[in-house]
Parts: sequence; C-alpha cells; structure tokens
Amino acid sequence: MSLEVSHLRFSYGKITALDDVSFKLGQGAVGLLGPNGAGKSTLLRILLGFLAPERGEGTVLGYDIRRDQALIRRAVGYMPEDDCFVAGMDAVTFTAYFGELSGMPRQEAMKRAHEVLFYVGLEESRYRLLDTYSAGMKQRLKMAQALVHDPKLLFLDEPTSNLDPQGRKEVLELIEDIASHKDIQVLLSSHILDDIEALCSSVVILNKGRLAAEGRLEDLRSIDYSLYELRVKEGEAKVFRRELESLDCRVDETEDGLIKVYMPAGMERMEIFRAATRAGVQIRYFIKSKTSLEDLFAQVVGVD
Amino acid sequence: MDVIRARGYHHWDGRLESRRFPWWPVTRTGIRLAFRKKWFKLFFAGGFLPPVVALGFIYASERLGDFSSLLRGNAKLITIDPKFFMSFLTNDGLLFMIVMVLVFAGAGLIADDLKHNSLQVYFSRPLGKKDYLLGKMAVVFFFVLVLTFVPAVFLFVFKLVFAGSFKFFLDYPWLLLSIAGYSGLLTVFFAFYTLLLSALSKDGRYVMILIFMAYFFSQVLSAILRNVFRTPYMVLFSVRENLKQVGALLFGQKPPHGVPVVWSFLVLAAVCGLSTWVLNRKIRAAEVIR
Repeated sequence: MSLEVSHLRFSYGKITALDDVSFKLGQGAVGLLGPNGAGKSTLLRILLGFLAPERGEGTVLGYDIRRDQALIRRAVGYMPEDDCFVAGMDAVTFTAYFGELSGMPRQEAMKRAHEVLFYVGLEESRYRLLDTYSAGMKQRLKMAQALVHDPKLLFLDEPTSNLDPQGRKEVLELIEDIASHKDIQVLLSSHILDDIEALCSSVVILNKGRLAAEGRLEDLRSIDYSLYELRVKEGEAKVFRRELESLDCRVDETEDGLIKVYMPAGMERMEIFRAATRAGVQIRYFIKSKTSLEDLFAQVVGVD
Repeated sequence: MDVIRARGYHHWDGRLESRRFPWWPVTRTGIRLAFRKKWFKLFFAGGFLPPVVALGFIYASERLGDFSSLLRGNAKLITIDPKFFMSFLTNDGLLFMIVMVLVFAGAGLIADDLKHNSLQVYFSRPLGKKDYLLGKMAVVFFFVLVLTFVPAVFLFVFKLVFAGSFKFFLDYPWLLLSIAGYSGLLTVFFAFYTLLLSALSKDGRYVMILIFMAYFFSQVLSAILRNVFRTPYMVLFSVRENLKQVGALLFGQKPPHGVPVVWSFLVLAAVCGLSTWVLNRKIRAAEVIR
C-alpha cells in the first residue's frame, strides 16, 4: 500500500481542517475531490510532511508522516497547481536542479532531465528560457520536475488547469500513461470531475474536513443509491417532485425537463411508480442511469 | 502524444542520497544565474578595482626609491599597516561596488522565487527552510568574500612577497584575524540585508532599487540629522558609517565618530534580527500548497 492514513485530525486554531480522515490508496490513479475548504490542501500538506497531524497516523510509501518527512519528500513527486519556475533558467537546468535537490548526483540529474523532458514533449524547447514558455509548456515542465527523480508516488494538483482543450487532452494522456504503464501511483487533486472520471479508478472525496466517500468509482456508483432518469407530462413535475422528496429521494431537474431521482439504498424502484400514482402523474420515460462522478459528488457533498 | 509514448519512460536505477550540505545546489545555481547578467559582470569586475589600486600602493611602498620623484616627501601616504587594510576594506568605493553587485546578484534571490511560486517546488524536495535560506545567503557570502576577504589576504601575501621577509607578519600577527573578522561581519550583514529586502517584494526590479536606496538613503538621512541635531549619534542611521565604526574596532583603530562602537554593532545586529523575523514570516513551507 503506497499511502495509508487513519483517523487524521488537524486544526488551524479553532477551525478544524481535517477530522477523522482514514483511507488507503489503491492501485493506479486515485482522485482527490472536494469543494473549496474541504481539506484537500491540508491533506496534501500532511502527506508531504509539511504539517504534523494532531491525531491519527499515516504512512506514505512506508514512511511515517510524522517522523520521515524528508524521506517522503525525496520519494514522492509533486506537481503544484500554480505556474512555478526559476527565472533565468532553461528547462534542462531547471529540471536537473530539482533532481539534484531531491538527492540525485549532478551528472545523473542532468542526464535524467533530458530524458523526462523528452518524455513530456519538451525536447524541442528544452534550452529555451522558461520565462518565454506558454501555459501548456509550463504544465509539462512541472510534470517533468515531478518525475525527474523517478518517484513511486506522484501528487498532481490541478494538472489541467489553464490549458486549452488540446493541451488538456495531451496532459491527460500523459498522466494516464504514467499511472497505467509506468508503475507510478498517482494521486490527482482536481476540480474538473471529467478529468478524474477519465483517469481514476478510485476516488477520495472530502467535505468539510471529513471523508465523504472513498473507494473504487464502480463501487461508489452503486452502493449508496440508485439513479433513475424519467420524464413526466409538462406541468406535472412539481407535484411529483414533492411526492418523491417525501420518500427521502433527492430530485434534480434539468432545463429540458429530465428528472433525476437519487433513490436511497434499500428502496425499490416500484416506489417511484407508486408515488406517480399518488401524485396523479403519468411517467412517459423511465431509465436506470449510470451515475456519473458529478452525480456522485453532488450526492455526497450535497451541492449541485 | 503517441510520440511521447513511443519514447517511453525509463525508471532511474540510481539511488537518491542525503546530502551533507543540501543547500549547496541552491548556492551554486544562484552564483551561476548572477553571472548571466551583463550589468552584474560589469560591477563585479569593477569590485576588483580597489584591490588593484591597493596592490599598486603596496608595490610602491616597497619601492620608495623608484617612486621618490612622484611622492615628493609624501611617503607616509603609502605606509602599509593595519590602518591601510582597514581603509581598503572600509573605503567607499569598495562598499559601493559590493552594494551594486548585490543589487544585481541578490535582489532576485527570494523575490523571484516568490514571484514565480517556486518555493512550493523547493519545499516539495527534502530541503528545509534553513537549507533554503542558507543556500540563498551563501550566494551573498560568496560574492562579498570574493570582493573583501580574498583580495585582502592576497594583498597581505603580496606585501610579504614584495618585502621579501616576514617582518610585516611578525609585526602584525593578528591582522589576518582582523581581515577575516571584518570580512565576515560585512558578509553576514550584507547577507541578512539583501535577503531582508529581497523578501519584501515579488518584484525584483523594485528590490534592486530598495537595496541601492536603503544603503544610500541611510547615509543621506544620517547627514541631514547630524546637521539638524548636531550630535554624532546620528551616524547610527547610516549603514556605511556603522560598518566603518565596527571596522575600526576590529583593526584596533580609533573609531571615526565619537559614538561607542557597541551602538553601531547593535544597529547592525538589529538589521540582522529584523531580517530573520521577516524571512521567518515570509518563507513558510506549509503555506506553499494553497
């Protein structure tokens, strides 16, 4: 297990940032999700050894998060969200520099810098000053510096932010290649749910400092609730919605009149039809839907 | 992207090691980056002008007969003694060159990292805040020592070589310690001074002006206050005069102003203390992940 935390708690003064958070990282890419203030950054700070938790324990690649902070930072790669570079450097020098700071011998770091810059697609511009790089190139550069010391675990913080569609597609393909073929575990923190859905087999969802959901996406999609999509005659949705909500169903309606019904665990779908009968509405379309990550996120976090 | 896949990613088969001096790559990089600046090279080269002139004086002092027509009875002007070395290390020209070197080599040390968010990449490595700051300070150490300690020691050695005896060394056996002590003081003070100002802004150009102005404005302010209040204690507002005061003490000379040297020392120490406080507040590893 590359990463395991149990009962983590951390507060900034009176504000509790993390409370009783426990999870284990499975194989492949894992998504870290949560609204602003959910505790994602605090969790990353603890996992990188910048903060010591008040309570709880954890290991990253077998290193204790309280004792072995420097060892953790040597072994993991971190790609920050913000653009970051050292002014006046070119990509090779920059990447080799951070390889060296990770503990690589200087010559090895330089050789390796060329390799990873080729891998992320910056071979043509590796001697160009970083000040002149585009947003997409800076994103690849951040990936290169995170990979240069060959980490076993990679923390990626919003890796596709500020990218055009083509740049985003290329970075996603790169991450997918790393996670699925290169024997590198990836923890991906992103607000773009489509990215997480495309890349990750598992997710960790935080909300208000607590673990809202965790596990394989396939399992999470099915265990807690079922999602049905249906349509009723125009003008009948309101009364039907009230009837469903009285059964503890969460109901969302799209602009084109599609009604999404999230049924709690243990409730039979026939209850929907019984509710329709009671409300006197006619169901004209009914299908069991596969819940998207967006649906799951909205359900566990309680936001649309 | 298929092209990227085809090139592949190869695992590195080496072993990551703990460094005895984890700050050293930071220092080496800071020095290399400074030499990429045209104006820096100009002022750095200019910083060797005072030692070249001093070397000329030392040579002339040993060849008084050859230069008698030039000196015309002013041989005292080139008496080589501890005061000569003090004058070399505290002269306005050298201090100006040091400040200008720091304007170009030191302004961006922290300001650029703040501007370009690179702290988060530094601290995601096994590099502590102390290592980071020590690495940055060592860049200033290097340049100031190269402009002060190294030439002063060379001048000392050349004095012995030109004299052809160890008499000068035997007369002033403590002089090398004074040179080391004063160069060390300049180095430490300018390191804290530069990093303090570099951490105050994300704009490197603004910091360049700050480094230059803080040094010279302190002199102007001190001169104005001395004229207004008619008290020598106003020299405490001048960075340069405080350095000269402490320098005089270290070289066993009379301080240039009628102010106890301990006050000047305390002013310099206060700047270092302020710098430590500011750096501690500005550079926080835990806050680099937002």
